[in-house]
Amino acid sequence: MFDRDIWQEIFHSIRNNKLRTFLTGFSVGWGIFILVMLLGSVNGMQNGFTKQFNDDATNTIFIRSGTTSKAYAGFEKDRRIQLRNDDVRYIKKSFPKDHEQISARMFRNTSARYKSETGTYNVQAVHPDFQVIEKTIVTNGRYINANDLALGAKVAVIGRKVAEDLFDDEDPIGKFVEFNSLPFRVIGIFIDEGDDNAERNIYAPLTTYQKIYGNTDEIDQIALTYNPSYDLPKALEFSRRLETILKRKHQVAPEDQSGIRIFNYAEAFSDISTFTGGLSFMSVVVGILILIAGIVGIGNIMVFIIKERTKEIGVRKALGAKPSQIIKLVLLESVFITALSGFIGLLFATGLLALVGPNLDFPAFSNPSVSFSTVVTATIILVVAGLIAGFIPAMKAARVKPIVALSDK
Amino acid sequence: MIEIKNLHKSYKMGSNALHVLKGIDFSVKEGELVAIMGSSGSGKSTLLNIIGMLDTLDEGSYTLDGVPIKDLNETKAANYRNKFLGFVFQSFNLINYKNAMENVALPLYYQKVGRKERQEKAMKYLEQVGLKEWATHLPSELSGGQKQRVAIARAMAAEPKVLLADEPTGALDSTTSYEVMDLIQKINDEGNTILVVTHEEDIAHMCKRIVHLKDGVIVEDKKVKQVRAKNYV
Repeated sequence: MFDRDIWQEIFHSIRNNKLRTFLTGFSVGWGIFILVMLLGSVNGMQNGFTKQFNDDATNTIFIRSGTTSKAYAGFEKDRRIQLRNDDVRYIKKSFPKDHEQISARMFRNTSARYKSETGTYNVQAVHPDFQVIEKTIVTNGRYINANDLALGAKVAVIGRKVAEDLFDDEDPIGKFVEFNSLPFRVIGIFIDEGDDNAERNIYAPLTTYQKIYGNTDEIDQIALTYNPSYDLPKALEFSRRLETILKRKHQVAPEDQSGIRIFNYAEAFSDISTFTGGLSFMSVVVGILILIAGIVGIGNIMVFIIKERTKEIGVRKALGAKPSQIIKLVLLESVFITALSGFIGLLFATGLLALVGPNLDFPAFSNPSVSFSTVVTATIILVVAGLIAGFIPAMKAARVKPIVALSDK
Repeated sequence: MIEIKNLHKSYKMGSNALHVLKGIDFSVKEGELVAIMGSSGSGKSTLLNIIGMLDTLDEGSYTLDGVPIKDLNETKAANYRNKFLGFVFQSFNLINYKNAMENVALPLYYQKVGRKERQEKAMKYLEQVGLKEWATHLPSELSGGQKQRVAIARAMAAEPKVLLADEPTGALDSTTSYEVMDLIQKINDEGNTILVVTHEEDIAHMCKRIVHLKDGVIVEDKKVKQVRAKNYV
């Protein structure tokens, strides 16, 4: 392999066919360039999606209730299932290891008034854990705490937009604002990186709202995060267990999709992974198809070179060259051209991605790049491609009969 | 050195076969200088190709230096060629992008001789054919006679048992031809066995024995008084 004579011959043959070598090499380099760019783009899309979801904790599960679609356990269908405080306690008790944060959610509209300013907003009555689940960033004051919950305190954490609307330049912290004519003390202001609309929300303690609405124990939704060490299959398994146990508790048919509904972010993520995985696969296929054109090109040039050198190969054989030595010569040349031109394509592609990638940041497309493993894989593909491209010509060369090659009469 | 018995060879030409060699019995002792003569189509080149293991025989036996040559696969043939035989061709067949010294060193490369030793040996043989000063020249910078002398040096570099020359002077003018024959005679004087295929009478008479082929059989096999080529140079 590191035989000087072989390399001397390879360089000679490349020197003698500069244009042809360049053109075929270009097709392989181009193939690799496109392959890497495609993979980089898929990676960019993946990054973009991940970023979009990052706003909420990615290990979140939401539980909602609805009406049953099947008769079950003596109940008719179309029965309304209602989640209650007791469900939250039940989940806490049943899955101490699986869940991390858990919070009930109650959604109500309210018209809010401060001095002469009024507006209509969504109030979410929640547990303190919800701050982590929603990744709420409190910039001033504090979030709802356990004490507020225990007391059923009339306190509120308002979004930045709400604060702007109602308070103008005043500092809202400690001020009283009326929600449906009931005075609530503002304890904190939050911002949301995801979108501005989320900043039109108001958070209040769950117990407070349940008291206001007829001392009820009803809740609209349960949000929880599962153990962050869980991988996707484990997370999905957990949400299945959650579903089973809640359906049993509320006597919903196990196959009923509408009585209890569980939405697991992990699932959505897995859908996106499947989608981007599909895209990667497609781009690998397309890239390889382009690469094949390059391989055929190199095979073609090698066949040509061998045709030109038939006589020389015959002389070599007459002088005692073994077929294996001839094959080695041809394969090495083919691998060399493929690998070199491929590397140049690879270099251009990774260089371009490294240069432009970090500056690209759109909602669904962010920082396209290729991993080291992609580069390694591409390199292996190149060497294999070179071997394939050289194989047929090499066999042809090995079969050259010295007598035919030397017959010059 | 060479023992050939009842050699037959035919080529398929479409539906009918062309019987080229029709039972050749032929032997060469060590140190002989044999001319194989005959008009084109007489089978002389086929005979040389079979002796050179560039072609296979259909029937009969061939023994070279006590080794029966049969059932050759490509690799084995390559090995034997490398070990036993040196070739000189009418059209020289030097590799055009290798200089004289590299051309001479090529068979040694296939014998897996180290680079340094290869170059030393190649220089030694170039010196023997009087082309030491031309070692770094490419074939395109050499005259016909010089090319053939490089080719002879290349054939001798592997130190073969038998040197096979197929019309070695066919592409040369008469003066250069005699120079090349003089070189061949000198190599023969050192005890090397040489077979020369030629259709030129004067070249044939510079050998020690002439074998005449006609229509695939040997019609004449006679010892001759060698004419020294040096007298004509």
